[in-house]
Amino acid sequence: MSRFFNSQALILIGCSLFVFYLAGVPLVMLLYGSVRSAPIGEPGATFTIQNYIKAYFDREFYLLFWNSIKYAFGTTVVSFLIGTYLAWISERTNTPLKKVFIVMALIPFIIPGILSTIAWILLLSPKIGLINLVVKELLGLESAPFNIYSMGGMVWAEAIHLYPLVFLLMSAAFRNMDTSLEEASLTAGSSTFTTFRRVTLPLMRPAMFSALLIMFIRGIEAFEVPALVGVPARISVFTTKIFLAIHQFPSDFGLAGAYAVTLLAISTAGVLLYQRVTRKEESYATVTGKGYRPRVIDLGGWKYVTCISASLIFFLAVVLPVFVLLWSSFIPYYGVPSRELMAKLTLSNYKYILNYPLALTAFKNSFYLSVGSATLVMLLTSVIAWITVKSKIPGRIFLDNMAFIPIAMPGIVLGVSLIWVYLTLPIPIYGTIWVLLLAYITKFMPYGIRAASASMIQINKELEEASFASGGTWFQTFRKVILPLLMPGFVAGWIYISIISLRELSTSILLYSYNSTVLSIMAFDLWEGGQYTYVCALGVLMVLLLVAMAYIARQLGARIGIAD
Amino acid sequence: MAEKRYMVQIESLEKYFGEDRERVHVLKGISLDIPEGSLYTFLGPSGCGKTTTLRCVAGLERPERGKISIDGKTVFASGERVYIPTNKRPIGMVFQSYAIWPHMTVFENVAYPLTIHRRPKSEVKQKVEGVLKVVGLQGLEDRPSPKLSGGQQQRVAFARALVNQPKVMLLDEPLSNLDAKLREQMRFEIKALQRQVNITTIYVTHDQAEALAISDQIAVMHAGKLIEVGTPHQLYSRPKRKFTATFLGLTNLIEGKIVELGGDSKPGRMETKRGILSFIPATGLAKGQPAVLSIRPEHIQVHKEKPQGLDNVVEGTVKEAVFMGDAYHCQIAVGDVLLRVHTHPFLSMNPGEKVYLHLDPQSCNGLPAEDVEGVDESMLGA
Repeated sequence: MSRFFNSQALILIGCSLFVFYLAGVPLVMLLYGSVRSAPIGEPGATFTIQNYIKAYFDREFYLLFWNSIKYAFGTTVVSFLIGTYLAWISERTNTPLKKVFIVMALIPFIIPGILSTIAWILLLSPKIGLINLVVKELLGLESAPFNIYSMGGMVWAEAIHLYPLVFLLMSAAFRNMDTSLEEASLTAGSSTFTTFRRVTLPLMRPAMFSALLIMFIRGIEAFEVPALVGVPARISVFTTKIFLAIHQFPSDFGLAGAYAVTLLAISTAGVLLYQRVTRKEESYATVTGKGYRPRVIDLGGWKYVTCISASLIFFLAVVLPVFVLLWSSFIPYYGVPSRELMAKLTLSNYKYILNYPLALTAFKNSFYLSVGSATLVMLLTSVIAWITVKSKIPGRIFLDNMAFIPIAMPGIVLGVSLIWVYLTLPIPIYGTIWVLLLAYITKFMPYGIRAASASMIQINKELEEASFASGGTWFQTFRKVILPLLMPGFVAGWIYISIISLRELSTSILLYSYNSTVLSIMAFDLWEGGQYTYVCALGVLMVLLLVAMAYIARQLGARIGIAD
Repeated sequence: MAEKRYMVQIESLEKYFGEDRERVHVLKGISLDIPEGSLYTFLGPSGCGKTTTLRCVAGLERPERGKISIDGKTVFASGERVYIPTNKRPIGMVFQSYAIWPHMTVFENVAYPLTIHRRPKSEVKQKVEGVLKVVGLQGLEDRPSPKLSGGQQQRVAFARALVNQPKVMLLDEPLSNLDAKLREQMRFEIKALQRQVNITTIYVTHDQAEALAISDQIAVMHAGKLIEVGTPHQLYSRPKRKFTATFLGLTNLIEGKIVELGGDSKPGRMETKRGILSFIPATGLAKGQPAVLSIRPEHIQVHKEKPQGLDNVVEGTVKEAVFMGDAYHCQIAVGDVLLRVHTHPFLSMNPGEKVYLHLDPQSCNGLPAEDVEGVDESMLGA
């Protein structure tokens, strides 16, 4: 009987219950909260469908729904075209400089969404936008040619932020394709174009479809651009509507819940569809693990066209935003680069930020949250991945699905759910940094699971059996054999999670208090207060912190485990 | 004579894989007694349950029914709900993939079974150095394990299995990942090593030549059942079952019906299409019942003239003769049966030639015709 109460059972059961608590409880509380007339604890709260009636019969609901779909769809199309085009150039053509392009394509990854949004406002705002001012002067125009405060402007800003993910997914798809499949078609006598149409495209279709779906989900749950651009432009989408329902006075938690459930339904549909597509993708099995050398297409003279077009995209997507952030962080007041302003370059913005008392708190909070959530998520998901991949414990599939639920939860929806949870449960952490930590762990658990499972599958089962046969207990085996072998995936997952948690905004904004302010919240507040140059200085510091953390994590990971 | 002591005892082991409708019965009542200090081989085609049985002994699989004891101590008993986990069993194991941990050096790999039990450093060092010497890897202590050759990895795996002086060493197809030359060399080394350390060893393989070369005793398994146990010599020259005769080495089978059972040094007699043939009977035969006669290709003597005064002579025509260096491998048609015959290389054989085959009764084994279910004839003798 004793084996039911050993350390192994305790760890496994503990981790499973924790996953259920993190993923299941918020979901239940959100659904529950959306049918309550008042927050729990308040007298006279009853069950009601009033929240849904209020939400759906609002005259603006259909405009809201239409805007959200338009926004997500536009973002999907633009980011997909840019990302796929760049991936194709760098994987399948002989375009010059393509190695540089690969690095450039990934830079926007490290820039937090709120910063890239701010950069685009500083570039495309009709009044202060750098591009507008320059183009106006060059062409002698009366009014600004571009306006970020429009659906088109929003889609552009979001798509530029999201295309690196498409680039990564499509690069992998191009790279992993067995070119002998194409060569078989060519030797069967079909032309390059027919081969592309009849072989390449159908083989790529599942990868393309899954990239499109991910973009759509990201678009529908995006918060930064809709909040910073959409709200002043009076273009509402679900995420901003939820945010405003809570940020108005008095907060309407019920209405926010009803909208959140609606948004959750849309994104869940997207995720389920995505899972079906990727399962089909696996059955295509164009990836066999062999190191294929993709057939590179000689573009002839066209290679200069692709080179210039890619350079132009990077100038727009990387150089300009980074430049405008850097520039604005060194000037005393916002303005177009000029000789006059060049003379006034200053470090005073940085001084201000570093002496701003809240900034220190925000840096500390963000750092602790980022390191803490990344570490805890990876430890937790390593155990979960062991259960789902290696063990035969009944219910492991359920556990795997459970840990994946948060992927379908837009950040703002998770925020609303957690408000309900901690206003209801007698756990006094609402408004503290702990609720943010739990939120981050919940939100990033699916990414951790993915990284940990992928590495776990690579570990030959005999490696852990050899430890058992050597007399090792489960805990010793996990610590001395599995965890070190998992290290490459662990570190990769850790870096990714620490980066995305450092820039997290949409969940934090509903859960923070003065003492638990984080960097992205501080940037948001400074921006709302019109202190553009300070925001830019803060943003530059944030990016530096991100780069430093990623670098250190990589170094440490190489030392602990086996270098990847 | 001292009573033989059994180190591992397995009683009516039953094991299923999968759930519900996809449930597969992989062990159908395996019972074995493995003598102390012996090198005992589980031999059989893939899917016969040999590795599963080994993993049950290790505790890596949990059988549904049965009992296993190691060194007199019960480690698994379904009736009494006893299940000692792998890490508490006195075993050392070498895996098919060797399972050398890539993040550790040779020393760390081999020292693991000791460090896990928090032995003092001096003892660990002394024991690891000792065992590395036994397997011939002294001086490689600090080598990172990914930088080892296949043969060296295997020695590390052996050292790790031996270092804590287990009661039983379990070897799961340890040679299958090596190239042919090295494999043959390692057979001798494993045998020598096992004699030197004198640890009871269970060896799993599907390679009958390997099993013959290395084992003290072989347990032939098929489709989840134990077919026959014996020394390599017994199983090769006096198999009791048709499956054993065909799985170990090459053989010829001639079908017939028993007319006289024989026994006590008196050969039995069987009626076949080629006339009455004599044989040494196995158990389980009955007069009037169908049976098969098994004779190995190298035991058939070829005569160009009809020999006089010999029993068991049949007439045949050479169909094909392939020169193999040490012998001619011939196919000789006897009526509608093709017999494989290995002849001396000096005796030239030409296709179409008429020859007389002497099937020495001492080399003819009469076996029950009914054999285990599911024996795929095409697989046999391959």
